[in-house]
Amino acid sequence: MGQKNGILSADYKVKGGKLLRCNLNVDNDIISSIKITGDFFMYPEEKIESLEQMLTGAKMDEESVREKMNAFLSSNVQVVGADAEDFVKLIMSASAN
Amino acid sequence: MEEWRLLLTDAKDAFTNMAIDEAVLRQVAEKKSKNTVRFFQWVPSTVSIGYFQGINQEVDLGVCKNKGVDVVRRITGGGAVFHDYNGEITYSVAVNESHPKIPRDIIDSYHVLCGGLVNGFKLLGLNAEFKPINDIVVNNKKISGSAHTRRFGGVLQHGTILYDVNINLMFSLLKVSDEKIRDKMIKSVEERVTSIKKEKGNADKKKVIDAMTKGFESALDIKLVKGELSQEEIEIAEELKVNKYGTKEWNFKR
Repeated sequence: MGQKNGILSADYKVKGGKLLRCNLNVDNDIISSIKITGDFFMYPEEKIESLEQMLTGAKMDEESVREKMNAFLSSNVQVVGADAEDFVKLIMSASAN
Repeated sequence: MEEWRLLLTDAKDAFTNMAIDEAVLRQVAEKKSKNTVRFFQWVPSTVSIGYFQGINQEVDLGVCKNKGVDVVRRITGGGAVFHDYNGEITYSVAVNESHPKIPRDIIDSYHVLCGGLVNGFKLLGLNAEFKPINDIVVNNKKISGSAHTRRFGGVLQHGTILYDVNINLMFSLLKVSDEKIRDKMIKSVEERVTSIKKEKGNADKKKVIDAMTKGFESALDIKLVKGELSQEEIEIAEELKVNKYGTKEWNFKR
């Protein structure tokens, strides 16, 4: 079991200025819940909930999170102000405190 | 020349303002209303937050309550904005998505629609430039920020025009990520944000709205004709205010 379990959060500043934030729960290295917030743009907006659902149940490691992000962004959705790697970095930088 | 509707809805509360934007968008999308440019203000002064923002992460709700400032979640993404009755005019543009002037690309659309504001600022004697993604700057300082959405078959872009700005008041309402650097942050924002008054020494609301109206006319090659909300828009807005923008479910959803 890795170090990153429990209630975690992160802020991540995207190059260009947008701020991504997340709060997540990780149990046994699995993301059991996640909320992503920030001042980015996503069309259609409601898709943020699909993203959070897709990430829920994912393994808390870079590859799994990247895979989910890429799958999400290849669905019918557009994010302005951040890309897949920004979200990966956001989630992987989450820590407890 | 193509005629669009100009709506001057003066100062209203936050929940009514956001409900009107959506009501107009819905009717424009269905071609029941003409494409529209609207200018308005907020009373009481309001913090609006972007669709994806966490209300408690961004806003000091206790301070807002003490100062009589409302808080509302927008239908659009982007950041928190303080709509100060004494320093800010909000614009919104609602246009049918099929309009030939509206690019399919979202960043291009910002550029086209912000063109109206850039022209307006120029008429006021300011050397304004569009700064991607969604800002307008004068001498590299932000004077306007916009947010954009597409839904129901329409495009809605709304944003802020700063004519006077009180950064200390603004930051008393917003949370900063690190309290230890609050003073430093306010100072750096003061260096990066400007207003019409700061640049010109004075700012008259009516003149600003007139200039922006002309700015949109020239940027979009349209004639703006003063109109009113339709009865349908008024009814939809009332419904949206009660069942969406005025509710805790909506404002606290993130």
